[in-house]
Order: sequence, then structure tokens, then C-alpha cells
Amino acid sequence: MNIRFKTLSELKKLLETKEISSCELVSETFKNIASSKTNSFITLDEERSLIKARAFDEGKIKGDLAGIPIAQKDLFCTKNLRTTCGSRILENFIPPYDATVVENLNAAGSICVGKTNMDEFAMGSSNETSYYGTVKNPWDFERVPGGSSGGSAAAVSEGLICAATGTDTGGSIRQPAALCGITGIKPTYGRASRWGMIAFASSLDQAGTFARNAEDCALLLNHICSHDTKDSTSISDEQENYLENIDDDLKGKKIGIVKEFDISNLNKEVQDSFEESKKIFEALGVNFVEVSLPNIKLSVPTYYVVAPAECSSNLSRFDGVKYGYRANNINNLEELYIKSRSEGFGDEVKRRILIGTYVLSAGFYDAYYKKAQQSRRMIKNDFMEAFKDVDIIMSPSSPSSAFKIGSKTEDPIEMYLEDLFTISANLAGVPAMSIPHGFAYGLPIGLQLMGNYLEESKILNFAHQYQKNSDWHIKSPNLEEIS
Amino acid sequence: MSWETVIGLEVHAQLSTNTKLFSSASTQFGSEPNTQVDLVDLGLPGVLPVVNKDAFKKAIRFGLAIKADINQESTFDRKNYFYPDLPKGYQITQMTKPIVEGGLIDIDVDGDKKTINITRAHLEEDAGKSIHDAYPDKSVIDLNRAGTPLLEIVSEPEISSAKEAVAYMKALHQLVIFLDVCDGDMSQGSLRCDANVSIRKVGDSELGTRTEIKNINSFKFIEKAINFEIKRQIKVLESGEKVTQETRLYDSGKDETRPMRSKEFANDYRYFPDPDLLPVVISNDEMEEIRSTFPELPADKSKRYISEFQIDKSEAEIISSSRELSNFFEVAVESTNDPKLAANLLVGEIGSLLNKDNIKIDESKLSSNNFNILLQRISDGTISKKIAKTILAEIWETGRNADEIINDQGLVQIQDETLLEEVIIKVIESNSKQVEDYKNGKDKLFGFFVGQVMKETQGKANPQAVNDLLKKALNS
Amino acid sequence: MDNKTIETISYLARLQLGDDKKEKITKDLENIINFVDELQNIDTDDIAPLANPLEKIAPKREDSVTSKSRKEAFLLNSPESDQNYFIVPKVVE
Repeated sequence: MNIRFKTLSELKKLLETKEISSCELVSETFKNIASSKTNSFITLDEERSLIKARAFDEGKIKGDLAGIPIAQKDLFCTKNLRTTCGSRILENFIPPYDATVVENLNAAGSICVGKTNMDEFAMGSSNETSYYGTVKNPWDFERVPGGSSGGSAAAVSEGLICAATGTDTGGSIRQPAALCGITGIKPTYGRASRWGMIAFASSLDQAGTFARNAEDCALLLNHICSHDTKDSTSISDEQENYLENIDDDLKGKKIGIVKEFDISNLNKEVQDSFEESKKIFEALGVNFVEVSLPNIKLSVPTYYVVAPAECSSNLSRFDGVKYGYRANNINNLEELYIKSRSEGFGDEVKRRILIGTYVLSAGFYDAYYKKAQQSRRMIKNDFMEAFKDVDIIMSPSSPSSAFKIGSKTEDPIEMYLEDLFTISANLAGVPAMSIPHGFAYGLPIGLQLMGNYLEESKILNFAHQYQKNSDWHIKSPNLEEIS
Repeated sequence: MSWETVIGLEVHAQLSTNTKLFSSASTQFGSEPNTQVDLVDLGLPGVLPVVNKDAFKKAIRFGLAIKADINQESTFDRKNYFYPDLPKGYQITQMTKPIVEGGLIDIDVDGDKKTINITRAHLEEDAGKSIHDAYPDKSVIDLNRAGTPLLEIVSEPEISSAKEAVAYMKALHQLVIFLDVCDGDMSQGSLRCDANVSIRKVGDSELGTRTEIKNINSFKFIEKAINFEIKRQIKVLESGEKVTQETRLYDSGKDETRPMRSKEFANDYRYFPDPDLLPVVISNDEMEEIRSTFPELPADKSKRYISEFQIDKSEAEIISSSRELSNFFEVAVESTNDPKLAANLLVGEIGSLLNKDNIKIDESKLSSNNFNILLQRISDGTISKKIAKTILAEIWETGRNADEIINDQGLVQIQDETLLEEVIIKVIESNSKQVEDYKNGKDKLFGFFVGQVMKETQGKANPQAVNDLLKKALNS
Repeated sequence: MDNKTIETISYLARLQLGDDKKEKITKDLENIINFVDELQNIDTDDIAPLANPLEKIAPKREDSVTSKSRKEAFLLNSPESDQNYFIVPKVVE
């Protein structure tokens, strides 16, 4: 059976009616992965996956996601399965424990077929910085899938897998979802546990998921999100069932359009798609209101102070002493550190560590880090103000569709501007998602929906209603054509 | 040239919690290397800290004891540097808003009293241990200690001599043990001292350049290290040179301080608030709970013992300085009508026995109940104080009930005057020479007669009665 | 950004930039710092810094030992170790 491009719900049904067994599903999955040219996986776990599939077929595994193959971004620690973060420095790292997100999805019965490729330590917007090679966009192999969760996005987009986890620190789920033409969601900061999620920027990182539609995302999110006592930043607010209100009527609801996001400068196709999407919502009875986020343009510089600062500290533990890469020919302690880290980290990671070190160094703390934290509060306040008037806020997920591999790696600042639309949600900590809503230059583009704190249900509701009344999310790349 | 010394001490006290500051691994001392290391302590990728409730309780108890301000909302910062025994490449500490601020400690230097002000006391995690002599060209790391909660207590630079520094350390030592905040075992590194030492000309208001002497772990070495450093700095300045600001280590073998290997670049710790930890808030209810279980401090206890029970000042101070002894004493005074006797025995006879065996009173075989019985029997005259000491020795070895021992060994005091008179007559008749000498003025022989009576009665005669009756008999 | 600054922050981060890369990274850093310098122009006089989007308080943990020894696993997965310790080149204090 051709399982490519089937949604999670469709696969569940097939398993339930026994039209397919989990073993067949898993075997097909590995066959498809083997013939894939997008380089979306770093490590595969075939043997254990088949064992789990067999157990499911024998009726031994139950759960919402039972018997379904999924993939985990290689930033989540998976017990006894190599976890690299796309870096040389963890090339042979085998975690002795599972991340809570992994544990939760395992407990729901899902089968982790492997770890997906990503920008090194989640730093990047194109999946070009991975030590394990660039990931290609299934829609056009000469183009990037977006990043940092490029592997997860490509794998779902290519139909290798119906669901994959990602992490989003500045847009690393939403932007690749947009560029690959699939759905991706980042919940409120603190909804998903960060235990076992290798830290890049602790106050911005959040786990989320990719799937072929909003409904699937909701189901996955039900399991990904949990209160975890091992994570001091984990929210203890009551867990919701994200499917419960997903079909609610949108009549009379309000969507905010951000005044300061000047889309008139963007590509015409992007603008047109945006207008079309507005019409779809209007037809459902939604009203559009202009909102102002006056400090939004500070998002990118704020992010590029806070994230590098936190990451420069978080990555200090990679010192070649207790785990990870240790260089050869070291004669003393200093060489141990310097050689192991210099050989183990790629250029983008080094760049960000150096920026972070600089902005935190003596004399600069007030000028940069403290300033950035103050600006962050201003951005958060803007959102709180705006959400008084609207249910959700809508914007493009990224300035345009996928760019060519290698085209932006020379100038880091151009790359940083890819994150323009997505970054503010991370700074404020609000939930946000991207759904496919058109094409530009023949490649998918995404629509971003942002919600207030703890209102994942609302954005999923809007997304689901949109998808009931459009078919962008059903489109898939024509693989014969591009391979 | 007249020089004065300015010293500030930074003392690290390992808190006596069961688990580490941010992980649930044990803090027990002396375990096999790397067996008390949690995923969090190893600093594995993806791990996160969760703060230990008790570490805060102990820190606050200390703050209350030194009459400091408690910051009910305090925060944690990261101090970034590289060292093999620092797994994460940063230490979680409290730079900006520590749990305790201000406060004071009273010290006594050979009778002179002085108050030393405290700048702050904050919580931070300890590093692991580096061992340099296991291999010729390698160092090895044991992370058992990594993550243990430390309370760093920083004094104002108000200490003026090595002797004062020792007095301060001793006062701090006694206080943290008493409060059950730290076990104070300096040989195990539970209490470590860094001394910041500088000198200046008498009358100068500006502080001289200071050096930091790190990790001194005994009172004796504190005194020696500081004295050496003072002498060294004086020599440097008197020869026209400047004192280099640096960190030094004390070498106890050579009795000297020497500079630590200098680093190429001065360490910039790049402090910033730890994004994995939110502010720690101690509620008013929690503060109430801590205040309500706050023990009476030795100084206050001592005063109370003197006024309430009229015991000797020196005995009051000894008993109040030990939590176990004071508990024992307080139980005793509830039933006895002779607190002075209780205090006397505790400090004297029992004190010696405790020292001999090097144990605490609650580790001995003497129960509170048994002690009370003993006190009762002395008060009601059943036994003499002298006999009580013998009984005590027996209880110490066997834990047997006092009454049982008294009855078994027939130790009941002889109070019967008739009986005593008979013994006295016997003694006088058998020692006629001494009687004559006594009557001729050799008063000292009185003690000899008392001794003889005691010998005849196996020590059981009531000493007071013997005194009275002997006097009567000899003067007749 | 002068050479001394680059050297200092590289050392603090224990990173060595190859000579061929040094110039490019220095330029990149300068550009990035110029870019973030935009923050200097904002008026933040009465704004409290936001350290964490949640603005909640830290949960506190009971002081009970629940972790067991994982010495073997840890040492096995380390770059260099013996039966008891992690091993590094000799450290001189």
C-alpha cells in the first residue's frame, strides 16, 4: 500500500480496520526513507521500530498514537539511540535517558523510526549548518527546507512520515513548515517539558510538532505537552484536550493584522495568498482588525542578543571532559578545551557563541543583555495589549518561499531576517503555528497564526476551519518530477 | 612604620541537606567516587535544575540567627568559567539578589568583644573534586561533590588580625553546627575559608591592595596563613614594591602562601540570570514555619539558664553551646528540684565521660530518665554525690537503671546517726595517737578521720552527718 | 572589533578561529553587533527586564534522595576514564 502523504488520522484508521499492520507500515516507512534523497534523517532505528510494530500487531501496545511511525528531531535525547544535535561534537553521543517529550510520545504508543536532521544546535534557518549535510526541500532539491527543524519538516513534507517533532526557538518549526508546505505548531513556552531537549536558548526554546494538518497536530500536542516537575519552567496550568474545541464556529471572532508587518514590500504572490486567506476566514464570519505591535521591529536585534547569550553559556558543557567529542593530540587542559570545541563546533555555532560571550562580557551586560531583556518586556506588553482586542494574530510565516541552498550563507544578517515574522512569538512566549496557504515561485508558503498565552486550542481551531475550507495542506510535492 | 591589617573572610559552608542543591543525588561524604552523580550533576545535554527546599530553609535559619535581612524573593545567576570539575561550564550562584543580606556576628578574642558585620550570605552549588596525584601526567575528576549546596558567607572587611579571624571562624563554626545548617567538619571540607588580606598604614582611609588566600580548612592554618601573608605584604611594601593583587594558596608544609598559577586572561564570569530557574519565593507562611522552628541561640540560652536556674556562668555557657547537652539539661530541669546539681554533673562528671569516649550525650547509654533518677536519689539523700559518681560510671558502661545499681550494690547512703556514731567511736579508739595530735592543734587530721570513717563504711556514709558527728565526738 | 577583543572572547569561549576564518568571523561579528546596536536607541527607563516569559516562581523540591548511582554508564560513555574517575590532562593549580 502507498502510505506516502497519509495523515496520522488516516493511518490510525487503517491500523484500526487492520487494512495494514504496523509492521507493514514501519517497513514501508524504512523503504521510503532508504530511497529518499532529501537527507532528512541522521540516525535510523529500524530494529527496535520493528520490535515495537510487532508488539502492536500482537495487541500489546495501546494508545492514541499506537503503532504509528513518527520521527524525533535530533535535539531530543532518546535513550540508547544516538543524539547528535546535527553536530560533530555529539557524533557518538548515546543519551542514557529519554526526553520527557519522547517519553510521552512513546507512552502514547508511537514508534520512533529515527532522528531527523537539523541545523547544528538549532542555530539556523535553512538546515545548511548540519555536520551531517544539508537537507533538501522535497519541493525542489536545490532549495532549503528551512530550519532549524529542516529534517523533520522535509520528512513529513516528502511523505516519509506523518508526524515529526521539532523545536522552535525563533521560528524553527513554523518557518520550515511554511517552506515545506506542511503544518507545524509551537505551543506556549512552558507547555512542553524541556527536560531532555538539548538547550540552545533556554528562555526561548519550545518543543512542538509537524504533521499534515491541524487536527493531527492537536492530537500530537495532547501528548507532547505535560507538566514536568523535572523542568522548573514547566507550566503547571491544567492540561487541555486540543481536539475538544477544534471544530468551534468562527463566526464573530476577530483576527488581528499587525500594522508594523509591512507586507506590501513582499513578493506579489505572497501578498495575494495573504489576501486570499483573509477571504477564506471572512467567509467563515471572521472580522479583521488592525493591531499595533509598536516594538515588533526590535524583535530581531533583541533575539540576536538573548539567544546567543544563553547559548554561549548552554554550550559550555561541551568541553570534551565527560562526554562528546574530544580532540586527539592534546597536551594540556587548555588544548583539550580549545581543540575539542573548535573541531567539534561548526562556524554558525561558533559565531553565536562568540556574540553571546561578547554581549555578556564585562562592561557590555547593561548595554546589550539587560537592554534586550527590557525590549523583550516591551514586545510582550505589546502582545498582551493586542490580544485584548482580537482572538488571534495572523501574518505570513516567512518573507518568501524557499531560497536556493548556499544563497544566504555568506551573509548571516540576511539569514537572520528570515526569522522576522516568527521571532516575536518566542520572545513573548505565545503559541504560534504555520499552515500552508499558497505558492510563490512555485514553492509553498505559509500563514502564521499566533495566539495568546495558553490558547493553543484557539489557533488550532482557526487552522482547522481554514483547512476544512481550503486544500493547500493536501498538496504534496511531485517526487517523480524533481528526483 | 605602623601597619594595620584589613581582613575580609568568605566562608563556604556545605549545607547538611540530604540532597544536592539542584538534583536529588545524595550529599553524603566519603562515598565511592562518581556514585553520587545524577544526570543533572553530570551536566548532560538536556538536563535542568530544580531547587532544594531545605537548602533555602537552612540558609534562612542562618540569616535569622545573624539578624540579617531575608530576601523572600531571590534569584539565581550563572557564573561562567571552564574547569574540569565544573560540569556545566558554569556555576549556578546568587550574585544579584542573594537570600540573605546584612547581619552580624559577635566574636570574643581573649575576652575582648567585637562585632563583625556580614555583607551577605548566598546559595550556590559546589564543584566536583580534581585529584592531581592519581597519575603522573593526568588529573582525575570525581563529581560526587558537584552540586552540593553551599552557603557562601561574606564578611565586611572589618577583621583586623589573624586572631580575630580565628575567633570569627570559631563563632561561625559553632553557630552553623548549632543551627543544624552545616556539620562544620573542616577536615572533610564542610566549612572552607577564603581570606582577603590587605595592609595599610595606620591612619590611612584607603584600603591597600588585597590578596586572596583560598581554601584554608583549619583554624590553625587560618591563623598561620594570615600571619604569613601580613608579614609578606609588609616586607613587600617596606621594600618600596607594590603588592600584586592575586590569588594565593597556603602551603601548610612550608607555612607559606604562594601565588596560584596565573591565568593569561583575567576571568570574566559573564554573570546573567539563569534562564532555567525562575525567582525563588519564600511565602510568609513558609517564613512563619521557619521562624517557629527556629532554635534558641546559645547566647540567649545561656542567659536564661543563669537567670532561671541560677547556675554558674561557665557551666551555662558550656551546656548552651551544645544542642544535645542543652536538650538533655532542659529535660532534666523539668523534673529535678536541683538544676544546679544537674548542671554540675553534666559539665563535670558527665562532661569528662563524654570527652573520654568522644561521643555526644544522645549517643551515650545514659538516658534522661536514668539521669533524673540519679538526681533524685542525690537530692533525697539516698546516695552521696561521691557515690553518684561511681554509679554514673557503671551506667555509662552498662546503661543499667540507677536504682537497680544502688540496690544491687547496697550503695544507699548511711544516714543513721547511731550507726555512724558507732563507727566514729571505733575510728577514734583505733587511732588514739592521731586523736591526741588533733587535740593538740593538728587540725588537718580532721580529714584523716573523715577518710577512716568513709573507709569503714565503704564510702556510703553521709558526708555532712559524718562531719557533724565527728566534730562533736572529737571536741568532747 | 579589534584583535584583542576577538582574542579575549575567543579565549573566554575556548574557541580558536583558524587564520583563514578569523577575518570573516570578525567581520560577521562586527556586522551583527552593529545590527543589535539598534537596541541602544530605545528608551527603557522604567521597564523591568524580562528574564523568562512565564513570570512565575520556581517550584521547590523535597530534600529526599531519589537518584541512584550511574557510575558505570557515565564513565563508559566518557572520552577518557578509568574504573572510578573521568580523566583529563594534568591540571596545575
